[in-house]
Amino acid sequence: MSAAVQDEPTPVAVLGGGAWGTTIAHLLAGRGRRVLLWLRDPEIAEEIRRQRTNRRYTGETRLARGIEPHTELAEVASAAELLFLAVPLAGVREVAYRLGEVLTGEQIVISCAKGLERGTHRRASEIVKEETCIKKVGVLSGPNLAREILAGQPCATVVASRFQEVTARATAAIMGPGFRVYASSDVIGVELAGALKNIIALAAGISTGLGFGANSLAALITRGLVEMTRYVTACGGDARTLTGLAGVGDLIATCSSELSRNHQVGRRLARGESLDAILATLGHVAEGVGTTQAIVEHARELGCEMPIAQGVYAVLFEGAAPLDVLRELMARPPRREIGIGAALG
Amino acid sequence: MRAEDRERAIAEVACRLVADKVAAVAGDGLESLEALLLDAVYEERLRLEQAGRDARAAEDRRFIEGVRQRLVHAGPEELKALLHEVVEHYAREIAGNFDPRVYQLATRVVPGLLALLLNALSPQRLLERFPELPSLSTNVNVRGEVEVLRRLAERGTVILCPTHLSNLDSPVIGWTLYHVGLPPFLYGAGLNLFSNPLISFFMHNLGAYKVDRKKKARLYKDTLKEYCTVSLEYGYHNLFFPGGTRSRSGGVEPHLKLGLLGCGLRAFVNNLRRHAERPDIYVVPATISYGLVLEAETLIDDYLKETGRARYIIEDDESSRLSRVASFFRGIVNLDSRIYVTFSQPLDLFGNRVEADGRSYDRRGRPIDTRRYVMRGGEPVHDPQRDAEYTRELGEQVRAAFVRDNVLQATHLAAFTLFEMLWRRFSERDLYHLLRTPPELTLLAVHEVRAALDRVLARVRELVAQSRLRLDPRIHDATAEAVLAEAVRVLGTYHPRAVLRRVGDRVGAGDLNLLFYYHNRAAGYGLERAVVPEARAVPAFDLSRRPSGEPLLPPSEPPPQIRPPVPAGLEELVA
Repeated sequence: MSAAVQDEPTPVAVLGGGAWGTTIAHLLAGRGRRVLLWLRDPEIAEEIRRQRTNRRYTGETRLARGIEPHTELAEVASAAELLFLAVPLAGVREVAYRLGEVLTGEQIVISCAKGLERGTHRRASEIVKEETCIKKVGVLSGPNLAREILAGQPCATVVASRFQEVTARATAAIMGPGFRVYASSDVIGVELAGALKNIIALAAGISTGLGFGANSLAALITRGLVEMTRYVTACGGDARTLTGLAGVGDLIATCSSELSRNHQVGRRLARGESLDAILATLGHVAEGVGTTQAIVEHARELGCEMPIAQGVYAVLFEGAAPLDVLRELMARPPRREIGIGAALG
Repeated sequence: MRAEDRERAIAEVACRLVADKVAAVAGDGLESLEALLLDAVYEERLRLEQAGRDARAAEDRRFIEGVRQRLVHAGPEELKALLHEVVEHYAREIAGNFDPRVYQLATRVVPGLLALLLNALSPQRLLERFPELPSLSTNVNVRGEVEVLRRLAERGTVILCPTHLSNLDSPVIGWTLYHVGLPPFLYGAGLNLFSNPLISFFMHNLGAYKVDRKKKARLYKDTLKEYCTVSLEYGYHNLFFPGGTRSRSGGVEPHLKLGLLGCGLRAFVNNLRRHAERPDIYVVPATISYGLVLEAETLIDDYLKETGRARYIIEDDESSRLSRVASFFRGIVNLDSRIYVTFSQPLDLFGNRVEADGRSYDRRGRPIDTRRYVMRGGEPVHDPQRDAEYTRELGEQVRAAFVRDNVLQATHLAAFTLFEMLWRRFSERDLYHLLRTPPELTLLAVHEVRAALDRVLARVRELVAQSRLRLDPRIHDATAEAVLAEAVRVLGTYHPRAVLRRVGDRVGAGDLNLLFYYHNRAAGYGLERAVVPEARAVPAFDLSRRPSGEPLLPPSEPPPQIRPPVPAGLEELVA
């Protein structure tokens, strides 16, 4: 019953005009939806309205017709039943708090933010539930590099929610010929996988920056997946999710693409640049940096072993040299390969 | 339920269920009416094979045989008629025999009777306090959101969800509701409580309806749920133990059964659809904390059973033996032991906080319109998957309230500390091995136990300050020495074997099973880390499983029923 969803009766809202938010708005508008895009910067709003481009975040791509940019959050949020939240994790709580003033229990929020809040260890969907009355939340995550999507290349993603109505409506709204959506009920797994892969992407960038090739990268990805799985199950997620698009899929895309911001940060770290210098010139948010801090701290509390993440943490925040960290990782005592198969039971 | 409502409810339940089932068959065609009825016939025959030869069983046999015979040749209309009959049969049984005169008297008479029972059992106290009538209010302490509950009961319909530890829970709650000026709540009591002569007296009068957990037919369960739903829609407050059965381990229930909570949501949507005057349904979690537990021995034995499954229905425990109940009440009165009933922050059906004004609020204190949760396209609608998810989240909040409002008493804290110390001292032993340790080997120096208890108390007080736990106010500022002495006094005298005993300058366990039982009430708060400073990590107890690792869920097969002897002398007591 609940899965039988008609076309959205109201416009769809996208909150956040960065690369990912703009791309989601573009996808939705490309499916013929009326899209209300909330962003803070009135100049970018004006640019999207007049020229259908967002040069700062999505380059010269002509965005689909039907995107209406707004700078008033409350107006956008109260006009839609289905909302995609695509602000960086650091902004989620503030935006969610403001949403809490206007949202009602009927509405659906799909979080597209990847990361973990420092100190509270909360995922974006948890923050939304804390700050608003919304119960019907979902998350969207997968191997979705914005630039490739904007170029019209085919890709797939996962929408997870405990509510079938949420996955069904989000899928109906956004799935199209070039964008395939799979449903999941494992919110924890899908959401954490999206955050965790950024840490491994930083490590992959470091590896590439050090001049290492495919063997190193494959070992990093595989062992990275093991510790991702360990962390996800410790948090109550489903290990099987990690074998899917949000896990392995996103990990492969992020670690093998040089487009990924986290990958870029890693490469520059390997060249000896300081984190502050890199972040100052990046122009975008690299979620992996904050996520590494939050997840490594949380993993310590949980007693969950994450050597690669620990190594990335040491490079980022403790001034460790990437090569020393690598040497330490390679010198860990030999052990049996307990792949993710073991966690799957 | 009042007589006029009862007949209306039975008819309503039958009509709705038949309509639902017919619609479901027409909709997805996954189940046929015939299959539903065959399932009922099959399950009933299976049950009746085990049942006795009494009049009730004979009547049930006749009924189900009749259904079976007609089912063979039934056409579509006959199937509907049969379905209607079966549901009505179940609904009538669930609603129970009703005597309006008893109902009228129940509220006033029953609490008096309970007090009288106590007096009769405690003549010494009666003499001491004469002519002032001793009352349960000394030993049963009511705390928490009483005023909010009272207001909500006027504004809408309340589902009260207490923790479940003892067969005395329902009388205690019945008395409490009376004491704070609330009407009796409807209560789905297991049939075993009706066959317990002591408890059944109260059951019949506190608005209880009957739940036969041996009936496994899907139709029966559906009827039960629909009856609950209808009663909530009629505005009857309901009492429901979400733990499903008494906690065997003594710990706060790890799993909740969400059945009746789900009925709340169904009733709410139905209320909205027919524009009911007071559509709101509130959920009020409550904890009942006993310094001493009447059936502790039976419950922990059942939890510890290594082989075979737990008896989901225990009919022959301490609560059915008059002498034990008498000695329990004598015990709690003479030992001045306490029963704390704590009403938690009320919730709506979606797990949000509700205040006395009957409105729901988010965590930032902004009001929530709960109707919007069930709307689609401007209309309130049922959506089983969505509603199950709302109810699951509500269950999490109820469980969080249980943990937060659990009141720890001296007995729990002393038992916890000593047991954890022994668990570390004999760390090479598994739980069973430890529980079989001879009592003389469990004696520890009293100053060490005191020091450990002191650290545990300090940690407990921190948690209390953060509202993550509650503490018996009598020991709020007590020293470890005083808490230990109090625990030895209470646990050393009530149970046939002393749970805790003091031998010279040493303290030890007299009954390790019971020590474990009282310990478990304080488990799950990480207090074990306070027992031994800088102790190596020892895995905490997972009370959702038996020590053998078997999950602690109700068994699927009904166990054989053992009827308890009727205790003599009851008639005089209650006459």
